[in-house]
This record gives sequence, structure tokens and C-alpha cells, in this order.
Amino acid sequence: MVELQETHKKFQKELSSGTVSLALLSILAQSKEPLYGYQIGKLVGAGDDEGVMVKQGAIYPVLRSLEGQGLLSSEREMSDSGPPRKYYQATETGQKALETWTLIWTETKTFVDNVLEGDYQ
Amino acid sequence: MRTADELIRIYIRDLKAALKGADKATIQDALADAEEHLRTALESENNEEKAESEAVQAIINEYGEVEEIAQAYKNWEVSLPPALASTPAARRVAATANGDNPAAKKYPGFFGIFADPKAWGGLVFMLISLVTGTLYFTWAVTGLSVSLGLMILIFGVPIAIIFLLSFRGIAFLEGRLVEALLGERMPRRASFTDSSLSWKERLKILLTGKATWLSIIYMILMLPLGVIYFTVMVTLISVSVSFMATPIGAIVMMAKDIPFDIFSSGDLVWTLSDPAGFLVTLLIAVLGFLIGTCTMHIARWIGKVHGKFAKALLVSD
Repeated sequence: MVELQETHKKFQKELSSGTVSLALLSILAQSKEPLYGYQIGKLVGAGDDEGVMVKQGAIYPVLRSLEGQGLLSSEREMSDSGPPRKYYQATETGQKALETWTLIWTETKTFVDNVLEGDYQ
Repeated sequence: MRTADELIRIYIRDLKAALKGADKATIQDALADAEEHLRTALESENNEEKAESEAVQAIINEYGEVEEIAQAYKNWEVSLPPALASTPAARRVAATANGDNPAAKKYPGFFGIFADPKAWGGLVFMLISLVTGTLYFTWAVTGLSVSLGLMILIFGVPIAIIFLLSFRGIAFLEGRLVEALLGERMPRRASFTDSSLSWKERLKILLTGKATWLSIIYMILMLPLGVIYFTVMVTLISVSVSFMATPIGAIVMMAKDIPFDIFSSGDLVWTLSDPAGFLVTLLIAVLGFLIGTCTMHIARWIGKVHGKFAKALLVSD
């Protein structure tokens, strides 16, 4: 049973690697103002524990990766209390990428749904 | 019962341990992210009902297990864009991801250097290092001497602190420059100071921390290095360009009928208008091109070495 658990975990991890990027890019593209890591984590992690796709700590490397690809920009700002925060915002390239990514996602979803329902022939 | 602060520090320590073997800069980024998140979360979720340590435990659970987070950063490091990927493993993976053969991805051959962004980056870095080196040196020496000189007066202390802080800031900026031009992975954000520490403790870290003094050493060394880099590059570039321009010069001189002996040894004299004389100018041009190509190789090599040097002095463990 333990091994099956591992398999589930592995599947979830593989599945989430792309979808998390899409989700984060989408959140930041929709947001009117720049958001910092903790806020984004709250948005992603909203809901019960079972439904959480990604640990809050795992979104930071994804944010950095998106920034590295030029899809996000960031700015550090001091906060009134606590440590300085890194605010992220979608760039114009990011907005454009999101449109394509959404298309790819929709196609993937339709494909998988069709396969799961058995009418892929 | 551990305090919230201790729990966060333990988590950070464990995360550092789990990241062992990753790039130094990745580790610094990961630790800074974790610290920012955990402290911000604690700040925002600090309600009276729960004990602070319980709240932290919940926050840490939501943040994720140390191994899981460490793995996420290691995966990220591997997926950096190929031009900037600094570890051989990362470059291999990036090359495979692009569907390229890793061996073919390297700019091939001696002359392929002109297509290598790292060589151009190194060249630009070496040329501007005269300016940046002079600025760093002046600022470091001014800062140190003004601070020491005023130390006997009460307002000497805050001035010294401001200078020391500025050195850390400059070290961070230089790191960004080094990463952009030389491709050596450097921290994406300034190192984090623990906000829970009192100002005395923070001051102690600033004064006794290796990072501050290594940054100052780097800033001082950048003057001689900058002068050497700049001189070597300008010399090589001008020699190369002027050699390559020799045939053009010869044509101009021929057109204006200016006599010029390109080669003379005893009775043997080749003037420019001799075919042999003109051939010599062409050979000089080829030599100039070869020197130019060597210059690019030198620029890439020095860029690489300087990147390692900057990382050793500007990135602390």
C-alpha cells in the first residue's frame, strides 16, 4: 500500500510541474496589482488540504523560473513589518504566453477527458 | 517548548542541509525565499487563539517538507536557460530538453567563438571593468578611510555602518552584472538579515561577517584587475583591427601614389604595388583576424575565471 502511495505522489508531481506554472502565470496575469509570494501561496493553497496541488514553498522556484523566462517581472519592496517582500507581476510576454498556454491546456484537457470517457476513437 | 523563531531557524537549517550539493547561489535564494515566506506568514497569521509556535508549525506544514522544497529548487536549477546554465549537469539537461546533442550545442571550432554570447559578455565585462573597478576601489577606500578617521567621534559610527551596508549592496549589484555578462550564477536577491535579531546582533554580523570584508577585498582588487583587463583588451582589439585594416591602408596609399616599402632586406624590396608586397598586407590582415579570434577566446576564458573569483568573494555560505 505504501508503494502505491509513492506512485500517487510521483504521478501528482509529474502532473503538477506544468500546471503549476500555468496557474501561477494566470493568477499574476489576472491580478490588477503585483503580488508577493505569500499572497500567491494563499491563493494557490486555498481550499482543504487534500485539494492542494502544490506546497507553498514549491511555488517560489517556479516563480523564479517564470521570471527567468521573462514571463514575470519582480520588484523588492520593504514592508512595514517583517522582511522585505518580492512582488511579482506578469509581463507583456507573460500575458501573450498565457493565451497560448491556455489553448494548450484546453486541448490537453479535452484530449484527456475524451480518453477517460472512452470516446477517443 | 520552542519559540516560533527557533522553529523557523531550525527549518532554514534543515533546508540548507537538504540542499547540500546544489549551487551556492541557489541555496542562498532558497533560504531567502523560505525565510521571507515563513516570517511574512507568521506576521499575517499571528492570531491570539493559537500559540505562536503552533502557528509556525502549521505555516511550515503548508510550506512543505524540507526534502520536497529542496528538490523543487534543484529541479529549477537544472531548468535554467542554456546560455546561463552554470553547472555542467544543467547544461546537459537543457541541451537535451532542446532536442540538441549536448556536444553539438557547444559553439564548435576555433572560430565558433564569435557566436558564443559568453565571449562577447566577457569582452564587454572586461572593457567596463576599468570604470566599475575604479568606482568600487574609490568607494571602498573612501569609505574605509572616512569611517576610520571619524571613528573617534560619535557620528563616525553611523557613517561606518552606512558604508559597510553600501559595500554589501554593491557586492549584490556586481553579482547581477557578473551573472548577466559572464553567465556565472549569482544570488538573485541580497542576502537576508534576520529581522528578529536585535540591532546589536545585526551590527555584529555586519562587522564580523566574512561577506562584508570579502566584498571590500573584491572592490579593492577590482581596480588593478579592471586596469589590466581594459588594457589587455584594448591592446588586443586595436592590434587586431589595425592588422585587419592593413590591405585597405595599402590600397589607399597606392591610390594616392605614396611609396611605401612593405618589406626590405638587402637588395630585396617589396613595395606596396608589387603583388608580393600586397600579398604580405593580406597575410597581416589574416594574422589580425587570428589575433581577434584569440582575443575572443581570452575574453571568454578570463570571464569564466573572473566569474568563479567573484563568486568566491561575493557569495557567502
